[in-house]
Amino acid sequence: MDVALKIWRFDPETGERALKHYNVEAPEWACLLDVLDIVKDQVDGTLGFRKSCRMMICGSCGMRMDGRAILACKERMKPIVERGHVPVISAMGNMPVLKDLVVDMTPFWTKIRRMKPWLDTGYEEIPEREFRHTQEEMNPIHKESLCIMCGCCVSECNSMESDPEFFGPAALAKGFRFVGDPRERAQVERLESYNDEHGIWDCTRCYFCNERCPKGVDPRDAIAKLGAESIKEGIDRDLGAKHAKWFVHSAKTTGWLRETELVPKTQGVVSAIKQTKFAISLAKHGKVPPPVPPHVADRVQEARGLHELVHSQGRAGAAGIVQGEKALSRIEHPSDGDGA
Amino acid sequence: MTTSSRPALAFDAFRKADQIASLLVEAQHDVLIVGAGLAGMRAAIEAHDAGADVALISKIHPVRSHSGAAEGGINAALGNASEDDPEKHAYDTVKGSDYLGDQDAIEVLCEEAPADVYQLEHWGAVFSRTEDGRIAQRPFGAAGEPRTAYAADITGHVLVHVLYEQIMKRDLQVYEEFFAWQLVENEGRCQAVISWDLVNGGLKTIGAKTVIIATGGAGRLYQGTTNAYACTGDGMTMALRLGVPLKDMEMMQFHPTTLSPTGVLITEGCRGEGAYLLNAEGERFLKRYAPNAMELASRDVISRAEQTEIDEGRGIDGNVLLDLRHLGAERIIERLHGTRELSMVFAGVDPIHDPIPVRPGAHYHMGGVETDLWGKTSLEGLYAAGEVACVSVHGANRLGGNALMETITYGKRAGKAAAEWALSHTTVTVPESLQADAERELGTLLDRTAGERPHGIRDEMAQTMHENFGVFRREDRMKRQGEIVAGLRERYEGVVVDDKGQIFNNDLTQALELGFLLELAACMVEAGLARKESRGAHARPDDYPERDDKNFLKHTLVSWRDDGPELSWEPVRMTKWQPQERTY
Ligand SMILES: Cc1cc2nc3c(=O)[nH]c(=O)nc-3n(C[C@H](O)[C@H](O)[C@H](O)COP(=O)(O)OP(=O)(O)OC[C@H]3O[C@@H](n4cnc5c(N)ncnc54)[C@H](O)[C@@H]3O)c2cc1C
Ligand code: SF4
Ligand code: SF4
Ligand code: FES
Repeated sequence: MDVALKIWRFDPETGERALKHYNVEAPEWACLLDVLDIVKDQVDGTLGFRKSCRMMICGSCGMRMDGRAILACKERMKPIVERGHVPVISAMGNMPVLKDLVVDMTPFWTKIRRMKPWLDTGYEEIPEREFRHTQEEMNPIHKESLCIMCGCCVSECNSMESDPEFFGPAALAKGFRFVGDPRERAQVERLESYNDEHGIWDCTRCYFCNERCPKGVDPRDAIAKLGAESIKEGIDRDLGAKHAKWFVHSAKTTGWLRETELVPKTQGVVSAIKQTKFAISLAKHGKVPPPVPPHVADRVQEARGLHELVHSQGRAGAAGIVQGEKALSRIEHPSDGDGA
Repeated sequence: MTTSSRPALAFDAFRKADQIASLLVEAQHDVLIVGAGLAGMRAAIEAHDAGADVALISKIHPVRSHSGAAEGGINAALGNASEDDPEKHAYDTVKGSDYLGDQDAIEVLCEEAPADVYQLEHWGAVFSRTEDGRIAQRPFGAAGEPRTAYAADITGHVLVHVLYEQIMKRDLQVYEEFFAWQLVENEGRCQAVISWDLVNGGLKTIGAKTVIIATGGAGRLYQGTTNAYACTGDGMTMALRLGVPLKDMEMMQFHPTTLSPTGVLITEGCRGEGAYLLNAEGERFLKRYAPNAMELASRDVISRAEQTEIDEGRGIDGNVLLDLRHLGAERIIERLHGTRELSMVFAGVDPIHDPIPVRPGAHYHMGGVETDLWGKTSLEGLYAAGEVACVSVHGANRLGGNALMETITYGKRAGKAAAEWALSHTTVTVPESLQADAERELGTLLDRTAGERPHGIRDEMAQTMHENFGVFRREDRMKRQGEIVAGLRERYEGVVVDDKGQIFNNDLTQALELGFLLELAACMVEAGLARKESRGAHARPDDYPERDDKNFLKHTLVSWRDDGPELSWEPVRMTKWQPQERTY
């Protein structure tokens, strides 16, 4: 098949940046990576990109196609060619470009290291046999263990774009891989450290990382689990944690989210006064209900019921984080369900 | 877009250069390990824990190493799924090797394997579990017991990340994206490695008291291979160029289930779970080749059976079919999720509904740099471990799950031995002229502006190796291949590199890789012609269809002399098992 594509080239030696157009003949089964190889072999040997396994496991070939982070070895070209589309290929975002499609992953790895990324069992001497843990006990970190450190999530992270110091989705998913491990002994220290500035509460919940991760790691879910575990352990010094706690409290007691109380409860009274102007302006635009005495929703029982269900199932902390349909189907509903 | 201001790798180690005035080295370590796959990382951990100052060199980031692609699992007689012991493991391995494996090396592997696996588990490996919470073990080809410990179908991935975690924990120095090109011998010892720094450009010489090569396999010799682009046999050729012999180079294992057309591996775990192999007539053809073991027979047996079916016209477009459908959607999704994804992306086939087209593909090099039981080569100060080495535990045919175990156990042993030697010796000297020579040589290649680019030579080599030195070997074809490789090597002399830049010039390193591969191809043909029998992966159906223990129960050794391979032989080390006929 005849493949057309455009590639954002960057030559570090001249500093020149240009969008170049390529047309090559490729076999029907070709993935983007195969096409890049053909370009490098037949058109321009200076094209720079990383590759190794060509089977979606080494994490070398992260880049962007039409502005979305992908693995080049995972993108089949045939459907794209059939649509008559000419994709634009560029380097991943949120990381400095070294050359063409090659980014400098040093900042990425610095953040991984920030997580203390190794199992802390509390001892160095290796016992004679393995830890005894059932599959069920190990399953909570299954998804996080799939991470291949490709950087696709970091490339797309909105929070990282505005705060380059943000730990980011890959590192935090790695963090949960240890917090959720039944063999780990330093959960609380880890949670304390992940609650630092630029940590879990700085995620804007845009869900781009879940959406773009080529391995189904769902880093945003991992961050949510870290948040829930932190609150369970009483680590709630961050505004984000206070905010989350108030949400739950408010929903449980009234069935509503009383947004007017959100700021004083999470940021304290002084800060709330500072925000009054902002609140009034929101109110003028009909964005907040006026601060009248709290009213309780008619069907507050439903909200309370849900709250109790989660507690009765021992789902405080990470176990309570369920996202998406697949995860929801795993929650055990009482069989005599009353429709809740 | 931001551009990088990544500084030249200003490691503290580099600054040491000023202090070693007489030496032209950027840095110096006790133990320097080339390759950061499972073998290299395991060696580094052991050498560090033994007290040595350790560094690793890797042409790709450690977690990108091809060890991460291993799906099926790792063999150790843990006895979690049945009564098992190291002796049974050893016997299966000896038999599987078609009696070419060195039995002392096999016994060491099988004895040390269980403790080494428990250690991986305590470091954090997320192995799959049995009902009672132990490490789960599955049956694998030609193993008498279910002995393969696994982590779903991402065992290699899990182990690579666990070892890299241990590297980070120890804060070991890694020269990332350094392409090692030459080992330096001085005063009869290996004392340094010269590498091309991919990120910044330029040659860098790093001195060391001992060097361990752990650069993995050379599957890229072949057109259809399960191996990554990085598997180009670099370490084998670097050692060969210093006069270190390569052992059993004719023994390239073909894996029976590689996805057509890309060669991506479909794990043996599928057959462990009960998948069938079918020919065009829908027949489970293995009943004619291995009636007892059927799909769980050893790899060489199945690869030959498939190739015979294909050659005799019972294939489908050069493939046979791997059928998982009867396992049911749930089991496929739960246990073989990765396989399903690979087959959907690379062949457009969902194994829940359709059988997967597969064929034999080049998978694993049983041969490699000759070492003793501690990874030591014939050159003082030089060690080797992992797929690059040949100690030899796999002989003429490797059992699935034994390669990962070898990387761990022998990586550990090489690390220990190299550290011990390094800690009892002090000096490193590297004559300046060596780097100057290397620079001149590289300059000649980079300055050449007209000539043939490498990819044509690369593709011809891979294509012809497949045709003439594949699953079946024939005298005339092998001779022809020898001539083809000689011709390609001549063309390679005039090869031209398109990219003349310093930063991330992998056009240059890919050309150097081709140079490594061509010399290995020549060695393999030489050894293949000399072995006039059929044993394990070396099958000569036309002229020598039988194993010949009287004349060939011995290893081939190839050295490089006067710009060509030179052959010699070495006896197999036997302990308790005498050769028997191999039936499955
Ligand atoms: C698809 C697949 C599946 C497999 N499944 C299994 C399995 O289930 N069980 C099993 O036991 N075995 C399996 N194997 C075999 C096994 O994975 C390998 O033999 C083993 O992982 C090799 O490990 P290694 O450390 O020797 O080399 P690798 O992991 O290949 O590492 C080589 C390292 O050397 C570096 N390197 C290479 N050349 C240079 C150079 N010139 N300069 C600097 N660095 C260099 C690379 O960057 C890399 O870090 C499988 C193999 C494949 C291909
Ligand atoms: S959800 Fe959070 S971590 Fe994920 S991309 Fe958005 S801001 Fe980043
Ligand atoms: S979480 Fe997903 S996208 Fe992010 S590095 Fe890991 S595998 Fe890549
Ligand atoms: S090349 Fe390894 S993930 Fe794409």
